[in-house]
Amino acid sequence: MIQTIGLTKEFNGFKAVDNLDLRVEKGDIYGFLGPNGAGKSTTIMMLLGLIPPTKGEIYLLGEPFHPRNVAVKRRIGVVAENQYFYKEMTAQEYLIFFAELYQVPNSQKRIDSLLEAVGLSNDRNKKLGAYSKGMQQKLAFARALLHDPELLILDEPVANLDPTSIKQIRDLIEEENRLGRTVFVSSHLLSEVERLCKKVAIINRGKLLAEDTMENIKRKLTDTILLEIELNREISEVGKELTQFPFVKNWHAEGHRIEVELETDRDHRGEISRFFYEKGFLILAMKTKEMSLEEAFITITQQNVSLLTRGEDTHEKK
Amino acid sequence: MMKNGKVMKTLLKRDLLYALYSWGYYGAIFASFLASSFLLKNFLDAIREEDILVSAFPLNYPLYITLIVISLYLVIMSAISISREREQGTLEVLFYGPVTPASFLWSRYLKDLTLGILALAFTALYFYVASVLTNLGFTIGLAKALIMGIFLISCVVSFGLFISSLTGRMRSSIITLMAILGAFLAIQFVYNMLLGIEKESLSPSLLYLRQTTSYLFRGINWISPFAYLSRGLDSVILENRTLYVTHVLYCVIYSLVFVFLSIYTMGKRGVKA
Repeated sequence: MIQTIGLTKEFNGFKAVDNLDLRVEKGDIYGFLGPNGAGKSTTIMMLLGLIPPTKGEIYLLGEPFHPRNVAVKRRIGVVAENQYFYKEMTAQEYLIFFAELYQVPNSQKRIDSLLEAVGLSNDRNKKLGAYSKGMQQKLAFARALLHDPELLILDEPVANLDPTSIKQIRDLIEEENRLGRTVFVSSHLLSEVERLCKKVAIINRGKLLAEDTMENIKRKLTDTILLEIELNREISEVGKELTQFPFVKNWHAEGHRIEVELETDRDHRGEISRFFYEKGFLILAMKTKEMSLEEAFITITQQNVSLLTRGEDTHEKK
Repeated sequence: MMKNGKVMKTLLKRDLLYALYSWGYYGAIFASFLASSFLLKNFLDAIREEDILVSAFPLNYPLYITLIVISLYLVIMSAISISREREQGTLEVLFYGPVTPASFLWSRYLKDLTLGILALAFTALYFYVASVLTNLGFTIGLAKALIMGIFLISCVVSFGLFISSLTGRMRSSIITLMAILGAFLAIQFVYNMLLGIEKESLSPSLLYLRQTTSYLFRGINWISPFAYLSRGLDSVILENRTLYVTHVLYCVIYSLVFVFLSIYTMGKRGVKA
């Protein structure tokens, strides 16, 4: 759906985006992450044809992209970080205007259902100048979905929203994805990205540092996994015997609870369960404590670690 | 192509309705009629005092003033039409979708031209009433001048759009427009002043200045939309059909050149303020 090959943007010799290779597959909810000034917005601007790349190629919906390729643009919906509206218009008038621009069939029905979905039905006749930032964001969503796009490009889609609205928009994104829409989302809210995205790309200083599924990124960043176990009685000295297993890197016990750090070469939970069972313990709870996306993000961006192998570094043109 | 036409139609409809609902447009037309009425009153006073007025086109000068006022309003409106949307960020949103520099610029050009034609229709009505009330006569020359007005407004609008395509903010559009028009006027003033002095009494440096301003003046005659306004109305007064048609053609070529230049500049300049 989106592919960039060697995408580069220079501003007076400064590389805002440096040789970026992205690949977003059909049906993905793809998270595009990076700290401020990493080059996310510049990349999105290039994807939308609003600024020309210094070099590199962009393929959108399988076609080489050119800003004047209106046919491709008609198949994309966009919610930008900042919302700009004709303040003298009402939400209803605004959506009618865009429905006419995109030549949406049965537009009034579509407008009604979208306003309902984003919770703005009752405010449809209010001037947009009187809309709060959250309402504007929701309306931008309705506008982006109006023409039934195949690809949604979202730049900080929940940045100005309260928790209820965030959930509303998250549900909407998931629903749209279920309906077959591919979603490319850039966000600072890592918890949201973690909940939503199947695959993420992390860029820093214009360079792509990681592009993979969430699990793979976390796995690549750490060679151990932490197992939290709650037992029916105090552990006492039994914990020490865990070191007989070569895959146990470390352990820490406190009362009925024990944390065991395991190697990630394979799933060792069965062996650990059997060990406690044989020692006469009952396991009340067991869970693996994974690295959060936030921790992964900080590790990658602060240490500027590239998780791309040579093979992954350059994508073959599709 | 057809879809592009529909995009233009949608933009044109919205922009036109927005302009027609604004007071500024009617204010400009009213101001132009006020200025013309003042001139007409002076004419009538002169006739009353002298008992005679020798003029084949007594209403053409008031019409010239009307056209100047309407043109000034339209040149300012077109000069801010792109930069205002750039500044507000709404241009960016339009360009996420099916809008291109060409569809946007043509819709703006047609919107301002339609406003101009509508203003000329009001003007025709005003002058018809004035001619009936004053007995000065609604001549064929006046009708020709009104038709010429459409082409002159086309020049003014395309020039304004070009200024707007260059600038990022409304304020800079207006400053740029005023600076350019001011420079045109200043060059014309200096040229006319130096032309009024005998060649022998000019120092070598002033002679050089006169020569330079003469070249500049000739250039301005091709670039300034207001020069087309004066020349176009002159062709009506001279009653020279060839000259009239030639001026209409010049206006069409001028408009096309500036609209295409604006499309090119907008494509290069982008949507950000």
